[in-house]
Amino acid sequence: MNRIEAKMQQLQQAGEKAFITYITAGLPDLEGTKELLKAQERAGCDAVELGIPFSDPAADGPVIQNASYRAICNGINLKNVFSAVEEVRREGLTLPIIFMMYYNTVLHYGVEAFVKKCRETGVDGLIIPDLPLEEQEELQSCLADSEDTILIQLVSPVSGERIPKILDRARGFVYCVSSMGVTGQGADFHKEVMTYLARVKELSKIPVMMGFGIRTAEDVRPMKDVIDGAIVGSHFIQLMEEHDYSIEAAETYCRTFKKELNEL
Amino acid sequence: MNQKAYYGNFGGQYVSESLMNVLAEVDAAFEEAIHDEAFLKQYHYYLRQYVGRETPLYFAERLSGKYGTKIYLKREDLNHTGAHKINNVLGQILLAKRMGKKKVIAETGAGQHGVATATGAALFDMECTVYMGEEDIKRQALNVMRMEMLGAKVVSVRSGSNTLKDATNEAIRTWAKTAEDTFYIIGSAVGPYPYPKMVKEFQSCISREAKKQILEAEGKLPEAVIACVGGGSNAIGMFADFLGETEVSLIGVEAAGKGIETGEHASAMALGAPGVLHGMRSYLLQDEDGNVQLAHSISAGLDYPGVGPEHAYLRDSGRAQYVAVTDAQAMDALMELCKLEGIIPAIESAHAIAYALQYAKDLAAREGAEAAKEKSMIVCLSGRGDKDVNTIADYLAGKGYLN
Repeated sequence: MNRIEAKMQQLQQAGEKAFITYITAGLPDLEGTKELLKAQERAGCDAVELGIPFSDPAADGPVIQNASYRAICNGINLKNVFSAVEEVRREGLTLPIIFMMYYNTVLHYGVEAFVKKCRETGVDGLIIPDLPLEEQEELQSCLADSEDTILIQLVSPVSGERIPKILDRARGFVYCVSSMGVTGQGADFHKEVMTYLARVKELSKIPVMMGFGIRTAEDVRPMKDVIDGAIVGSHFIQLMEEHDYSIEAAETYCRTFKKELNEL
Repeated sequence: MNQKAYYGNFGGQYVSESLMNVLAEVDAAFEEAIHDEAFLKQYHYYLRQYVGRETPLYFAERLSGKYGTKIYLKREDLNHTGAHKINNVLGQILLAKRMGKKKVIAETGAGQHGVATATGAALFDMECTVYMGEEDIKRQALNVMRMEMLGAKVVSVRSGSNTLKDATNEAIRTWAKTAEDTFYIIGSAVGPYPYPKMVKEFQSCISREAKKQILEAEGKLPEAVIACVGGGSNAIGMFADFLGETEVSLIGVEAAGKGIETGEHASAMALGAPGVLHGMRSYLLQDEDGNVQLAHSISAGLDYPGVGPEHAYLRDSGRAQYVAVTDAQAMDALMELCKLEGIIPAIESAHAIAYALQYAKDLAAREGAEAAKEKSMIVCLSGRGDKDVNTIADYLAGKGYLN
């Protein structure tokens, strides 16, 4: 079974909510990224989104844009991130890893070769914000509904009648974007966020995760009955910046969030 | 896959889920509008009375004499605001109004599309914000001032390389946030479907007029139609009505910058590989990691790492041919047009002129001087060069240029 799906199933059986964080690969450096992944596993994160830096991250706000830019300046690319994942898996990490990336990076690597490499190194899922449902065929035909790597579907507050079609293809969990626009705009959720999340929850057979603009577990209290978990990206990067990528700070934040999320 | 979003393997809608319904709405509104007599009447009214169309197809007498064939210039430089950009802006802004939007946003590199958008926004009383890279704002202070005089807000973009591609990213981000009341006016034949289609439609007045004009002047179609290509809006407009006339050669001229071999160029067709940027799949300049490479050209309007998807398709299908001209060749052609015809072209358009002169020489060599004299070609003079005077002065003084 796919690692993300197994994890989600396990949480559902235990009646727990899921917590996922985002980090940009290669910050502060690749060794640091590996240590962060291990720390997040220890702290009880249920999966980690690992951002592959791209020169033109059009779906990201300033925090992740800057992180991405710095990672590129540090020489981080898809190849060396694959190596880091391979190493950290060999060192025993079982935490589900989801690549968050732009489609050009996949195309440039070669779609087939990319999928094969994900399988070999232990990448469990993919989030590609510039690859909407209509453009997924090429990638999905290579992923071939396998248990190794799955494509995570995103839904937005204005998806409307697209929601059932998107859910039809979704595996692992469905990623509900809390607001229009880009990552990291503060907890300024879309005005229709409750109705929309409730609709997705009602239609979805798999867990519903909410992301964009979340900082603390308290931010999602109003939605706790219609979501199965929360994703924190920009805020976590900011926190890491402020604490100089301290492993301890990462662990404390994740442990606290996960605990509070399940006490809401 | 949404087949109608594609030109062969190129095009598509590589945007975030938040924008998919927005694009569907724009497409539906566009299709309805261009089949609505009232909309077309209004659009053509403004093209005629405000922009000053139709533009002349000018027979460049001295240039033709010197190069031994009939060279016609499609004078888009005579449009209001000085370039073809306004054709498209008026179409899109009328569409935005029809859709009930109150605000428009645009990206701009050199500032021409920004100025055209600010102009249209003033005319139709829309709130206008233009995204422009910090570097470009420094280089194009005059255009920034024009936009501000026209009532637009110019937002300085500081991310990545601080140029056009980054301004486009920022416009896309803002659009994703505000699409409920904001229309994004894309200036080139790029972006996610239906933008390339819309831009082509609103620029196709260029070839519609030119075809009629050349038939009146010559009684037959030209040998070749030549236009410069950055994203490719004037070129697609210049090609549109000639696509079905297979005996007419269609030639797009990209910027070779300091020379393709130096790596400092803007020729996505020459060396680019298919990739995805700004919502479309097309030829794209990229580095070995798949990051987008900076383009280089003395002409800010051609300084773009990608190219419109229909051009990528026309290249692969062989219907059009794409060539590249260096900064130096373009500047020589620019000076020659000034001296022989009394026309100061935009540096962008000078790229098309440069290749046209080369084409004329080849034609005479291939078919003989007598035969060449009877043949004609049309070059799209997409804009006037007033905006480029500082760049030209620096270039002539041997100071190079900021790119």
